[in-house]
Amino acid sequence: MFKKRLPLLLTFIAGMLPIFSFFFRAPALLEDDPTGNGVVQVSDTFEQWMVILAAGALLLGVVNVFQVNLKKISNRGKGWPYAVVFLTALIVTAVFGLWDAFARADITAWYAHAAYQWIVEAGFKPLQATMFSLLAFYVASAAFRAFRVRNVEAGILLAAALLIMLGVNPYVVRALPFLPDLTQWTLNIPNAAAQRGIIIGAALGAASMALRILIGIERSYLGLQKGE
Amino acid sequence: MTDLFQRLMNMDKRWLYLLVGLAAVIPILLPLNLPVNVAQSVQDLYDRVESLPAGSIVLVSFDYGPSTGPENDPMADTFIRHCLARDLKVICIALYPLGGVTEGLEELRRAVGPIDPPNGVLESSSFPGKFYGKDFVYLGYKDGGQATMRQMGENVHTVFPQEYFQAPVTQYELSNQVQGYGDVTFVMSLATGIIGEWWANLVNAQYGTPVAVGCTAVSAPKYFAYYKAGQMFALLPGLKGAAEYEYLVEQQHPRIAEATAADVYNAGKGWDVQSIVYSIITLFIIIGNVGFLVERRQQLRR
Amino acid sequence: MSTEVWVWVAALFTLFILSFLYKDNPFFRFAESAFAGISMGYYINLTFKNTFVPNLIAPLFHAGPAYSPELYPGHTAQHWLLIVPFMLALILYTRYIPKIAWVSRFALAVYVGYYTGLNMMQKLQGEVLPQSADTIRSFWRFIPERLPIWVSGQGHTVSTGEWISSLVFVIGVLAVLVYFFFSAEHKGVVGGVGRLGIWFLMVSFGAAFGYTIMGRVSILIGRVIFLVDDWLGLG
Repeated sequence: MFKKRLPLLLTFIAGMLPIFSFFFRAPALLEDDPTGNGVVQVSDTFEQWMVILAAGALLLGVVNVFQVNLKKISNRGKGWPYAVVFLTALIVTAVFGLWDAFARADITAWYAHAAYQWIVEAGFKPLQATMFSLLAFYVASAAFRAFRVRNVEAGILLAAALLIMLGVNPYVVRALPFLPDLTQWTLNIPNAAAQRGIIIGAALGAASMALRILIGIERSYLGLQKGE
Repeated sequence: MTDLFQRLMNMDKRWLYLLVGLAAVIPILLPLNLPVNVAQSVQDLYDRVESLPAGSIVLVSFDYGPSTGPENDPMADTFIRHCLARDLKVICIALYPLGGVTEGLEELRRAVGPIDPPNGVLESSSFPGKFYGKDFVYLGYKDGGQATMRQMGENVHTVFPQEYFQAPVTQYELSNQVQGYGDVTFVMSLATGIIGEWWANLVNAQYGTPVAVGCTAVSAPKYFAYYKAGQMFALLPGLKGAAEYEYLVEQQHPRIAEATAADVYNAGKGWDVQSIVYSIITLFIIIGNVGFLVERRQQLRR
Repeated sequence: MSTEVWVWVAALFTLFILSFLYKDNPFFRFAESAFAGISMGYYINLTFKNTFVPNLIAPLFHAGPAYSPELYPGHTAQHWLLIVPFMLALILYTRYIPKIAWVSRFALAVYVGYYTGLNMMQKLQGEVLPQSADTIRSFWRFIPERLPIWVSGQGHTVSTGEWISSLVFVIGVLAVLVYFFFSAEHKGVVGGVGRLGIWFLMVSFGAAFGYTIMGRVSILIGRVIFLVDDWLGLG
């Protein structure tokens, strides 16, 4: 009971704080007490704590990743040399990164920062950017091989895509001067209408899911099944 | 004719990759300087910056990382230069976890020059008479996303007790002055993904602070809904938006035009390449569909 | 050609990743594994330097000029309370110890609960209300124009183009919302309106496709400029 009910109660209380503070932040209520009433003060403190907790949650995956890769290396699993590369890169970057994070404002800080920045400039930035840039080639190949007008809906999709793509081409615009206005109209009216429908629908869905989590109907995030 | 289409359809995709690669390289070696048509959402940002009185404070949030640098970097450079040329004050933060903090420092330095506050280099070499801490300041990165944005509405100093170079925020005039959203004229978010939306649906909705967003092309269609609803007063959609904004600013501010031309990469250069690759991909789509229709007609005849 | 070591390392990593376009190979796999490791190390630095050190460790131990009690006498009053989020963050990691994994539920409950509550208000107040409000305003923009002034009570000067655009816009939003409403069967009128909603969605997806291509190509441009200008010095 303690292991299952108490976390659900904590979820409810933690969720109610930002909701209550939202209503208590009204200027009229704060007029008499410019430092904020009790709920707002508690909520502000809680928000500072959540920033720290969010950072802690970000690093959860590091432990799991170490476990999985060390197992792969010790068992000589498939692709184990790459696990060695992965862990080496992780440890080297983390060591220099932590040195940079904890270094005080003196000469060691300069060395720490320079070393860490070198790894970021030579490794992280080019690798991340190049990984994403592969998508440009895949999109071109997919557009050529798979984008076919098989029915009315696909035809509308193609027409809209061509309208956008031709509407920004300076040579086509020179031949068809009304095209940029038509492109803007398409973006501002039918596109925005559909996106708005998606936003409202998704927001209502998210809000109802949030309510389910707060009142304890949805429990899968705690690893509990329905009825537990 | 049908055979030709068949061969095109069955072509090894690596030839397509090579064509795209060449289309990306050649315009960089041989610049084309293609014209741009300015959209209203971009004009709105330009007009707002031009209309603000000197001394107004703008909050710039670096909500993107190196992966979308080619789209967002030119927006950041041009915007900061534009603000400083108009004697506005710029306070920068970063909220994107994967590289926002390095992008913020890099672009700020690209716009103002090689500042180094811990070693006393505070004056901008690109804008003489503008100083770090007085006309522009960088507070660095903070985790927490929406919680951080909410907290900033109450007290920026609690979220950012130190600026990027680890001096207390109260040490500098500009960072000391800005305590909440009420102290800034508007927020400029340079975003990839969802953080730009948070500025609109959290900060604009709950605090009433005007928000402008420079987003990646991938997010642009969705952001137009927020622009239309007035939750953002301006929108720079992708590299096209960056090129249009750059064009507008360069017309009015020749000094910025010189600085942009001296950059290794700028939106104008990128837009040349973009136009050519875009045209090739459009051609691919049209050829692919013509081939498909020809094939279908043949099958129907049989 | 550049003589800086970091440019050469960056260029080699770039070429290793791009080699995957030809075919999968050990160079690509090496670069991929290095990327995964460096990214994680980057995250660790980010979290410590930008959150743990200034928001937790420095205030707790009064380290650094921003926390000096002489300069900020009132600033240190409740900093001992920061031990609470610190313990919560540590508790999250008990999930890796099978015997006491259930303890991590408490920290997870607080984390999920807080962001769920925040998200709910944000979605309702920041998305549903403003977007619905603007749709209703668009709807009202064209109605008075076509009604006699004694009914509408006001005169508008809305051009025919704006009138048609507002009409198309409102119909689009309603049609898409009907399409997403699965509590009624999509037959007859509801089915027809839902089909219209799909068409509006297709326009949106077409626009998204066009812009997505733009976005992906921009990233490629950045890499090519690095190789051509920074590495080879040809630009």
